[in-house]
Formats: sequence, C-alpha cells, structure tokens
Amino acid sequence: MKTYIVAFALSIIISLSARAELKWERTEIELHPTPADKQAIGHFKYQDPGKTPVRFKSVHASCGCTTAQTQKDEVPPGQSGEITATFNIGDRTGTQIKTVTVETDDPTNSKTVLTLKTIIPQQLEISPTFVFWKQGDKPDPKTITVKVGKEFTVKHIKVTSSSPDFQTKVEEKGNGEFKIDIQPQETNNVVASTLTIQPEDSQKVFYATARITNTPVVQ
Amino acid sequence: MRSSLVWQVLILAALALAPGLGQAIYFRDKISWRSAIAPSEMATVDQTRTWGGNVVWVDARPDDEFARDHVPGALSLNEDRWNELLPQFLAVWSPGKKIVVYCSSLSCNASREVARRLRNEAQLPGVFVLEGGWEAWLKKNR
Repeated sequence: MKTYIVAFALSIIISLSARAELKWERTEIELHPTPADKQAIGHFKYQDPGKTPVRFKSVHASCGCTTAQTQKDEVPPGQSGEITATFNIGDRTGTQIKTVTVETDDPTNSKTVLTLKTIIPQQLEISPTFVFWKQGDKPDPKTITVKVGKEFTVKHIKVTSSSPDFQTKVEEKGNGEFKIDIQPQETNNVVASTLTIQPEDSQKVFYATARITNTPVVQ
Repeated sequence: MRSSLVWQVLILAALALAPGLGQAIYFRDKISWRSAIAPSEMATVDQTRTWGGNVVWVDARPDDEFARDHVPGALSLNEDRWNELLPQFLAVWSPGKKIVVYCSSLSCNASREVARRLRNEAQLPGVFVLEGGWEAWLKKNR
C-alpha cells in the first residue's frame, strides 16, 4: 500500500513541475519617489521555467491611478519578461498600496496579485488644512500647525492669503514646526481664502483654506 | 484494510491542506490594500435617503468617470487633483451637512482615502463612505 501512496505523491510532484507556471522574482515592490516625481514605476520580473508557454489572460490594476503593461501576451518556455506597473502620484500623500492582478492560462495557479507599495515623502504636514468661522462668530484667530517631514530641512515658510479679508501671521516654533495664525477682518459675509504655504527654497506649494460659512440650517 | 484506507485518506487530506496552510502563514502579516474603516463611518443608499437634502455628495472617482455620469449635484474630489478640487468642495460645504463619499463599487478604495483625508486633514465632521459606491446608487435610483 505504501508503494501506491509514494507513486501517487510522485505523480503529483512530477505533474506540478511539468505544468506551465510563471515564477515571479518578487510579487511585492516598495518604491520611494522624490517629492518632484509625478509617477512611481515598479518592474515585476517573471520567468517561465516550465516546458509549455504561459499566456496572459488579463492584467488588472486595483485603481484608476495605476496602469500595468505586459511586454508580451505569451511567455515561451524558458523565457523571462516583466510587468511594468505605473502609479500616478497626483496629489496623494503617505503610504499608498496598489495591486495588479495577473491572470494566466495556468489552470492550477491562474491568479497572481502583485503589490506596489509607494512611500510618498511629505515635505510639510499641515493640520488642519481647513479653518472656518460661522457667520456672526467672534473673529478670533485660528491656528494651523505646519510640521516639516523627517527627511527635510525647512527653515522658513512663506504664507499668502488669496483674500485681503483674512490676515495671516507665521511663528517659527523651532524643531521644524511653524504656527500660522489666521484671523478674519469680520464674519458678517460669506468669504473664503486659499492660503498658499511655500517652504523657502522650494518649488513645491501647499494649500489650506479659510472660510466664513453660512449659519447652518436646523433640520 | 480499513485502517490503511483511513491512513490514505488522512495523508491525502493533509497534502490538500498544506498549500492552504502555507499561504495563510505566508500572508498573515501582509497589509490589506484597502483602508480600514469603522462601520459607523459607512452609509447605505437607503440611509442617505433619510438624510434628505442635508447631504453633500462627493465623487472620488477619476475625472473621466465623473464626467460620464455621477450622482446629481455631486462634487468631484479625487486625489489626482486634490489641491485644486478641495477648495471647490469647501466652498459648498456648510456646518451640519453630512458628507457622503463614493467611488465605483464595493471593491474600490478611493472613497475611503478621500473620506480619511477629509476627516484627518480638513478635520470635517460627518464624513461617510457610501457602501457599494456608484454601482449601489445606480441600482437603487435608476
């Protein structure tokens, strides 16, 4: 009986090694783009070590912000290639995890999920990015805190308000921290201002919004 | 004879279970690509109906999908053009209004990310993610 079991196990092993399957160098890639980069690109390399060709059935990204391209539709035995995943950074921040699902004609392992992890560097962390007063509120100043990211050095920031209805004052707190005080002239009218925050010696611009809102309607 | 058969069944079951177990161990620390969200921060289409006009709809899908069709009155706010679109959204928002963010379907993540940024960065209250997204809204409304 033992002979049967060994023969069965061997037949499984042999059939597994003979089947068409892609071997991926890595299924997870971590990228660290610079603040100036608009895209982060990951190269997922594969090889077909089997004896039959592998055909791609579909390559599908988890998000509209990511595109994935194969070099060929079919991978002949012994050949290698790569899938290029391009993540459009846009105005995203922090750690972004996007996946690309690859389907092949391999009946036993048809689906592979490739993971692209992108760590977007954050030069300035602004909190909050929105301050508001309700109509009729006392026009007291409100504070926005700006913290410089660990990998960056910013000694000064410049803040400008798009509307003269709001005054801004910047205070340097040291240790890469700034305090922006915003104060409306009055709160009788619904007005808004975009605050432009620019680190010294940097092209990158950050934004915050200050606004006098309508008095809420009670429902 | 019977015990031999039992052994064979057990060995085959163990062989079948091994890949599954291996995968479970290998992937146990892997990060989910979907942002975690509390159930209290989700809203169904039926729930949003009870809120009447006290809602600002936010479409987190890419520009082309928004241009094709969207919830009537919805504002586009996606992370491709966050800095440009956020002030436009904030100009419409007023205190007391609920914000309902949606993306394409149940599996998309854009609405969760936009809702997270509205809560954490703009510090707005009453931000919800529409369960099932645009697909769910379409099913109930058209």
